[in-house]
Amino acid sequence: MHIYLPIAEMPANVLLFLGMGSAVGFLSGLFGVGGGFLLTPLLIFSGIPTPVAVGTAAAQIVASSVSGAIAQWQRNNVDIKMGLVLLAGGIVGSVIGVQMVRILRLAGQFDLFVALAYVTFLGVIGTLMLIEAVGAVQRARTHERPLLARSSGQHNWVHRLPFKMRFHRSKLYISAIPPLAIGAFVGFLGAIIGAGGGFIMVPAMIYLLRMPTNVVIGTSLFQIVFVAALTTVMHATENYSVDVVLALILIVSGVIGAQYGAAAGARLKGEQLRLLLAALVLLVCARIGWDLVATPEDLYSIATSFGGAP
Amino acid sequence: MRGLGIFCVAGALCLVLIDGAWPFSSVAAAQTLARGHEDARRIVQRTPKAAPAPARGEQAAPLLRETVEADVSSRAIAITSAFTGTEIVVFGSVLNSRQPSAEAGYYDVIVVLEGVPEPVVARRKSNVAGLWVNTDAFDFESAPSYYAIASTRPIEEIADESFLEAHAIGLDYIRLSPAARSVIRAEPAEIKSFKEAVVRRREQDGLYLKADYAVIFIGKSLFRASIALPAHVPVGPLTARVYLFREGEVLSTFQQRVRLEREGVELWIYWFAMRHPALYGLFTVMIAVIAGLLASAAFRRKAAA
Repeated sequence: MHIYLPIAEMPANVLLFLGMGSAVGFLSGLFGVGGGFLLTPLLIFSGIPTPVAVGTAAAQIVASSVSGAIAQWQRNNVDIKMGLVLLAGGIVGSVIGVQMVRILRLAGQFDLFVALAYVTFLGVIGTLMLIEAVGAVQRARTHERPLLARSSGQHNWVHRLPFKMRFHRSKLYISAIPPLAIGAFVGFLGAIIGAGGGFIMVPAMIYLLRMPTNVVIGTSLFQIVFVAALTTVMHATENYSVDVVLALILIVSGVIGAQYGAAAGARLKGEQLRLLLAALVLLVCARIGWDLVATPEDLYSIATSFGGAP
Repeated sequence: MRGLGIFCVAGALCLVLIDGAWPFSSVAAAQTLARGHEDARRIVQRTPKAAPAPARGEQAAPLLRETVEADVSSRAIAITSAFTGTEIVVFGSVLNSRQPSAEAGYYDVIVVLEGVPEPVVARRKSNVAGLWVNTDAFDFESAPSYYAIASTRPIEEIADESFLEAHAIGLDYIRLSPAARSVIRAEPAEIKSFKEAVVRRREQDGLYLKADYAVIFIGKSLFRASIALPAHVPVGPLTARVYLFREGEVLSTFQQRVRLEREGVELWIYWFAMRHPALYGLFTVMIAVIAGLLASAAFRRKAAA
């Protein structure tokens, strides 16, 4: 069964993309991540033009983050003030990122930049997660207590910066600069690589800002909803690269898959989950990296103007 | 677009059709097409080439010059949500045909189906520190978005190079106009390799195609050719050109336009995305938010039950 995608200007196998959406949704529900970092490469591998893949994945991220954010909100796990500061940074980063997409496309380096960004971030995050998860599995075997991420009275350079603000929910009194910078960086990256950036923001919030773990996921999701929504609108206005038909297929299958993923996740052990996720992240990283180093079949490629911008 | 002008007086008319009012009424379209018909016929009559002299004794009566009349199976192709590519049949007949049978090979026919010219960038990768990176680029002001050629036999055997080149017939002679800014920087050999790359990549992509024996005579005068239009064909008008040859001499030509347009939901979505991008973006976000809310609400009810 095929359906013609009006913006990508190609027919898509509905079953293939429904399958892809539900698989990514399942994994995102299972691991509690947005899944954009898996979805965008999969879309590109299946022949969707990179700008359309990035723009459309942003819409899917909105859908998958909304339900998560609502659930966290009801459990009072969202630090709204922190979320707003991150969001302010995220908006700036996202605006710059969408412009950057336009510039890179004109220069013919967009695909390269996306691939490099993926290899770098997935490689680093995947390796860190793998090390952590292997350690956790070993600790679980020897019945050791896990290390605490945060101990009171501990300070680092982040806490010596000016413009301090009090974040009641996170029980923090820190400068507004680090959260702004983290938000901006993640917003920028999200706009370029079509991922929510939760996989970067969550570790940054825990290790750099030293936020309590229970509010990290909720606050991150809260911020991602708004940044991804803004990114979607900007990709639509600046690059004309959001395909609503493709988005709809991915959203519907994604949100359903995510619910089953979350149910399955409740039955698996945390450290095993993280080990699996690390392996998955490294696999995607290796696949993208391979295309960068392998000799291409044809050194030449051609591109037409896509929705106005060449 | 320049290619059209060369062939017929109707070129100007065609330009108006391409650039002009896009949602023109079907009545106006029919009228324009009908006018195009007349024009094309007039041109055919003006074709200066004389018919080959008939062998003496074979036929006594004074012979009328052969002309070709042709049409396409569908002059308007709608791209709907179910569009998965289609096939265009170009058919026609030779008036005053002197061909004894369909298999005689007395005439040669070339059919060209061409899309609109559009700017294209060709890029070349090279290895930079172990990574394959786009390092060279070459701009073309225009390259046809789609180009298909069908003929009764290989075109090199039908007509000479200069004619093929002048009329942009064949994959080697597709009209690719390099942009001045790129020509200044590049050497002739480079330009050639970039031109070849455009044709090669489009050929691999199924957008440029060639079928040497695809025009088939069904009778003494009737011929047909079917040309594949892939699903990812760029949306825009197409032009079908038909050339009738006899021993390397062109006897007659014919031209017909094919509309390739989005229709129904596809048209509506495209129009929405291009004319009101901000609203379209917000609409997409709204769908996403509603889907997310619905899913979490549905799941919560399920979990509670």
